[in-house]
Amino acid sequence: MLDRLMQSAEQAEVFEISSEATKIGFTANRLKSFEVEETQGMAARVLVDGKLGFAASSDITAVDKLVQNVLESARYGDQVALRFPEPQPGPTVQVYDAQLATLSTDRLIEMGEEMIEIVREADEQASVSIDLTRRVRQTTVRNSRGVETVAKKAPLSIMLQVERVRGDDVVTLFEYFTTATLDRSYRRFVRRIAEKLRLARRAASLSSGRMPVLFSPNGAPVLGLPIIHGLNGKNVYRGISPMAGQEGERLFDERLTVVDDPTLDGRPGSSSHDDEGVPRQRNVLIDQGRLTGFIYDLKTAALAGTEPTGNGERGLFSPPSPAFSNIIVEAGELSVDEIVAGIDEGLLVESPLGLGQGNVISGAFSNNLSLAFKIEGGKILGRVKDVSVAGNIYQDMQHIEALSSESEWVYGGIQLPYMLLPELNVVTRD
Amino acid sequence: MRRETIEAALRASKADYTEIRIEESESTRVAFRGPDLETADVVLDRGGFVRCLVHGGGWGIATFNDVSDLKQRIEQAYEGARAIQAEPIELADIPVSEEDVKVPLDNDFRHIGLTEKKSLAEAYNDTLLTFDARIVDTHTSYVDTFKRVVFANSEGTYFAEERPMINVAFSAVAREDGDVQRAFEAISKVAGFDAVRDHHALVETVAQRAVDLLSAPAVEGRRYPVICNPRMAGVFAHEAFGHLSEADFVYENPQAQKMMVLGRRFGRDILTIADDGSIAGLRGTHKYDDEGTPTGRTDLIKDGVLVGRLHSRETAAKMDEEPTGNGRATGYRHPPIVRMTNTFIEGGETSFEDMISDIELGVYACDAFGGQTALENFSFSAAYGYMIRNGEIAELVRDVVLSGNLFVTLQHIDAVGDDFQWAEWGRCGKGQGGLTVSMGAPHVRIQDVLIGGE
Repeated sequence: MLDRLMQSAEQAEVFEISSEATKIGFTANRLKSFEVEETQGMAARVLVDGKLGFAASSDITAVDKLVQNVLESARYGDQVALRFPEPQPGPTVQVYDAQLATLSTDRLIEMGEEMIEIVREADEQASVSIDLTRRVRQTTVRNSRGVETVAKKAPLSIMLQVERVRGDDVVTLFEYFTTATLDRSYRRFVRRIAEKLRLARRAASLSSGRMPVLFSPNGAPVLGLPIIHGLNGKNVYRGISPMAGQEGERLFDERLTVVDDPTLDGRPGSSSHDDEGVPRQRNVLIDQGRLTGFIYDLKTAALAGTEPTGNGERGLFSPPSPAFSNIIVEAGELSVDEIVAGIDEGLLVESPLGLGQGNVISGAFSNNLSLAFKIEGGKILGRVKDVSVAGNIYQDMQHIEALSSESEWVYGGIQLPYMLLPELNVVTRD
Repeated sequence: MRRETIEAALRASKADYTEIRIEESESTRVAFRGPDLETADVVLDRGGFVRCLVHGGGWGIATFNDVSDLKQRIEQAYEGARAIQAEPIELADIPVSEEDVKVPLDNDFRHIGLTEKKSLAEAYNDTLLTFDARIVDTHTSYVDTFKRVVFANSEGTYFAEERPMINVAFSAVAREDGDVQRAFEAISKVAGFDAVRDHHALVETVAQRAVDLLSAPAVEGRRYPVICNPRMAGVFAHEAFGHLSEADFVYENPQAQKMMVLGRRFGRDILTIADDGSIAGLRGTHKYDDEGTPTGRTDLIKDGVLVGRLHSRETAAKMDEEPTGNGRATGYRHPPIVRMTNTFIEGGETSFEDMISDIELGVYACDAFGGQTALENFSFSAAYGYMIRNGEIAELVRDVVLSGNLFVTLQHIDAVGDDFQWAEWGRCGKGQGGLTVSMGAPHVRIQDVLIGGE
């Protein structure tokens, strides 16, 4: 394939993907489905007369058409000073656990049953749906400068949805867990969900106003999402990131350190090279509140006149773009209990609604909360309904009161502690 | 793929029920980001889905890109179904269908070259870029997809259906003194190339709005009477109410059934909400759903009272109701689940002037950036809004986020406009992610809505 492309192109790259997965589905507390999934596909990029072309196909027998499409695409492409990388070593990372890759169907079913039991112990009216997926996924990048990187991963992922209806009172939770190492951490994940359900049984009321707001790891992406967008090289190059041109400046409280770390063993987001064959590396992006870097793929780096950071990611059908591997917000010193104990009256944000809606890049957020709790006299009192929080991270994260010593992985690839903001706008029905 | 091959594979199945869905699509995409071309390309996607039921087992499913050995895929799905012990799954009866559904397109986009598609997107993008120096970033995209779905099951249904779609989308980002604002419009239709031409005026409104939002104040957070424009009201119908009427939410949950009992009053007499997958040319329209059930209209709320819900064959059988043609799959990777098609609030009798005239202080919420619901709770971000002062539209405001409780809010709809229209785009993110849907509504007034904001 590469040879065929090089007959017409100055540079060429072929990306291949194949995966096999087994998925066990529980619906409304009961085993419901067993699924096997086979995926394959191929994408190509070329530079012809300095112009970049792309094409992809999930029909790997359609090679002629793929070649024709990618060359056609290059005829219409923009001039880009892009060079595919040379072979370079990357960090060694463990993301293939043979035990996990061969986990039996029976074991997956057992895990699902165990999780349902833990949730239903907390609330017998909970209706739990779970998808457990065990996957082996291989991607290969080859280019005309001799790169041939193969990434083989075996992630286990669990999607868990809980609905609990009592009269017109509804609790819904939708949570995602993933790992590339077989351990017991899924139990901690499900116990936390059970704990939330327990806490949600009690109702509490809260008046609108400015107050301390504690974001759980699950709730903190309200604040994290604008940062994720702001650090993306594409938004920086386009000049829409409020962080553009501010490298070296202190933008946030010095308690805040944000790292992109693809070198962690056992995390599905880790790998030795990115999807363009560039070596991965640990990048500190915000260091004690100070902006220290952004993330780039090859093309964005070429356009911006900077170096790629090993953050080129892609699906089969899309050209690479900058994306995080694992995002780590460094933990603090106080325990969650100590932080809660210090709050007279405030709000604990557990599940936000409408993440990603609105003008995220500007730093503004305004989210209704599907699950939030009132904190009073240093204790979590009960669930507050019909409540929303609003603010702007570039102002409101100038001062972070505390970060917890405990962290959790949420939304797949983000590791977060609890985060306390001293004063935020809270709007309620009362 | 040949019909005989598919039918031979079905005949060889040992399962009690077997279905096969093969999807092939070709997409042409052009995308600009700022002055740079992101991509101008063609992608091909082909894959299959097989599902089996056996007595005493559950659903056995196989999905794949390699379609060369269907018999083996059915065997895999059959083994999957046998591998698990599950509650018996019944499927409601549907008529056996046999049809080849063609969707003729005026000026079929498959006969238009990449040159013309790129020029079109580039011209729209230039309109955005040159509008005002404060426009610092744009996203302009053109996508056409021609998909062909073949569905066959062991009951004898066999249909092939063309599912073409054409989209253009324009987004502009304006920046001034560190402040960043965004505006967006899109057109998406089951139509040929002409449907996406000649929209420069619309593109200019996008650029204008992004610039205007820079000097717009954030709305003050509190409760207001709100008028939703048709697009916002359509998203509300879909997100806040539609998802609750999907039977997979209630069919295995007695408490949820009690909450969504047919005959319960949800709103005033003026409120009627329905779903209809059979309206020509809309994004949620198909002749058949992905289980082979013909689509049609289902009233959900009629004159304020809950009268129906949306079903797949499985949920209909379980609840002893009729299947409604709402078993939809995002693609060959997914089983059909209960999804909306084209969901709408039926037009009423109040003119916009009458609706606004007695509002002293309120908010006019326009278009939706997005909406999300946790069943009884919802949250919607308006793309932009205006204050209403003394019965008239006043200043532009930003950061308009509506949130609240569904049951309370539906009761608070006290005026339904006489100006019904369909939105030009819509996507639903339930479960499997992006599925094309349409949403429609007239202007709708809701009393006492919580608007978040700084």
